[in-house]
Amino acid sequence: MSAIRHPISGTPPRRIGTLVDKTALLAGPGLLYLAVLYAVPLLLLLLQSFRSDDGGFTLVAYTSFFGDTYNLEVLARTLRVAFLTTLLSLAVAYPTAIAMNRAKGIWLTVFLVALVLPMSLGVVVKAFAWSILFRSNGALNQTMESLGLIDAPIRMLFTETALVIGAANVFLPFMVLPIYAVLRQQDDALQHAAASLGASPVFRFFHVSLPLTLPGIVAGAAFVFSLSISMYVIPSLIVGETQQTLPMLIARSFLYLRNEQLGSSISAILLIIAIAVVLFSSWLAARLGAKE
Amino acid sequence: MTHISRRRLLQGAGALAVGSVALPGLVRAQSKELVIGCAGSHTAWMEQIVAPHMRETIGAEILFEGTKSSVNLEKMASNRSNPYLSVVQMDDPVMIQAVEEELLRPMNRSAVPNLADLREGTIHMDGMWANYVQPWAGVAYNTNARDGVASWSALWSDEAKGKVIIPSLQNTEGMWTLFAAAMLATGKPFSEAQYETDAAFAKLEELKPNILTTYSIMSQAFNLLEQGEITMLSGNFSSYTLPRKAEGVPVDLAAPKEGIFAMPSGICLVKDGPNPELADAYVNEMLGADLQAKIAEFATSVPANTKVDAGSIVPSGVPIHSPDWAFVSSNRREWIERFDKLMAG
Repeated sequence: MSAIRHPISGTPPRRIGTLVDKTALLAGPGLLYLAVLYAVPLLLLLLQSFRSDDGGFTLVAYTSFFGDTYNLEVLARTLRVAFLTTLLSLAVAYPTAIAMNRAKGIWLTVFLVALVLPMSLGVVVKAFAWSILFRSNGALNQTMESLGLIDAPIRMLFTETALVIGAANVFLPFMVLPIYAVLRQQDDALQHAAASLGASPVFRFFHVSLPLTLPGIVAGAAFVFSLSISMYVIPSLIVGETQQTLPMLIARSFLYLRNEQLGSSISAILLIIAIAVVLFSSWLAARLGAKE
Repeated sequence: MTHISRRRLLQGAGALAVGSVALPGLVRAQSKELVIGCAGSHTAWMEQIVAPHMRETIGAEILFEGTKSSVNLEKMASNRSNPYLSVVQMDDPVMIQAVEEELLRPMNRSAVPNLADLREGTIHMDGMWANYVQPWAGVAYNTNARDGVASWSALWSDEAKGKVIIPSLQNTEGMWTLFAAAMLATGKPFSEAQYETDAAFAKLEELKPNILTTYSIMSQAFNLLEQGEITMLSGNFSSYTLPRKAEGVPVDLAAPKEGIFAMPSGICLVKDGPNPELADAYVNEMLGADLQAKIAEFATSVPANTKVDAGSIVPSGVPIHSPDWAFVSSNRREWIERFDKLMAG
């Protein structure tokens, strides 16, 4: 077997086997699980999208998808909803993470329970609760009317706004926890040092805290965006069929149109978006990490 | 303290893993178990009436998978080479697709003798499936908001602006609003109007200002009707609305003067499904007078068995329409796409 000479230090050559950390084998079951239950089915799905009726290669499913303005509207809506959900989640999650980072003892437990417990509640139950909140004589409309913000009830049910609010509510923990994890690692001395040098709280936030938490923000945004573009039950319950998203189109293609090629091609498009988000966020996190 | 060697630990873990995987299979193979695909909205009476009845009469443990007809069809198609469902209860238009895809095993009278007692028109395509009970469909309404729904045209009225939800054409009950639109647009009776698709879609477009949303999952829409957020839920059916009314919820089901519809609830045997004899026995019981009477009463539906009195389940003096399901089945995919584009936004 050939040996590899250490490129820098000139230390004695080691066999290739010793270069591989054996603890990496612990990832084996997980990788196998992902390969069998995720990668292989996805690959089959991808191949299906390029297969014509006679078994040959075709791009017709993709050309027909992108040639239909309705599909493009659905694609745009899916991306818009995912983007706005991520933005709203971030706006709510960031201060929450800061508060959690400051909390100690029982208050930290309260925060964590408040964050994790709603995840055990089914989306269907939440959707029913939101319908009570969003309806024309619901709590939101009544509050805004009593505050004089609106003259008459406004329609909130079955709107894109309701979908964004609902989705952000469900996915909030996936934004809070990565930011909180990064905040926990920050050294408080950095804040004190900046303050001692005369930096105002606002200046400290934008020039110390925020840059250091960017990797957490990127990770949280990747989580929430990926979950948002692939959600099916939440839009089905909150906006119904009048404002479809890509996952709803996939279900429709497989279950109702019985068009596996179309369903596979939309799945592939969704997958490409998800992969792009993951790669971009990894690149961004690595770049921010390097800067840090 | 007893030390457990690594080898023994691995052996024990291996035996546990093999046992946990294999034992349920062995137990299942020995038990008389049937997996039935049915509608999600049927879960209540399937659990409360059918399961105990089957345990008592044919000695079978029944496992239900309650979902939409189209999902049941997809499950059958995906598991064609190794089916796990023995019997499926789904709607007629989807049954036609299942027959076309050669997923069903025909029923015969020697194995399912109760077929002989069914009403005329309830056995389809030489016994490929049979209707077991038939709820009737009309317009569900909130009794605090309205006194009733005299005509299907009420859905299009000015006072109903933003107060109506209709089912998607992905759902079988979605067809009723489409046919009502065709009937109102052409002035023809349902039997003729059902073929006037273009007129139906043009009339549906006029309904858009009144539509709060369209649904493929009914529970949320019905909840909004109960809360009074909407006043009418088009195409709803007796097995869903009337039990809620009986519980004191302020809803009722109207039978518009132009006619109501018979929901096409069918039962079929899965081709090459497990436990075929037990599956035959299950279907026979489902079509028998005893169980038919119980289900019909619980689900406020019309029994298929002629030995059971339908009573006053169906409103009198209103025509009941059964559509041309073959026509629906052959056009449904195109209609779904057209409907979704029309209602988008």
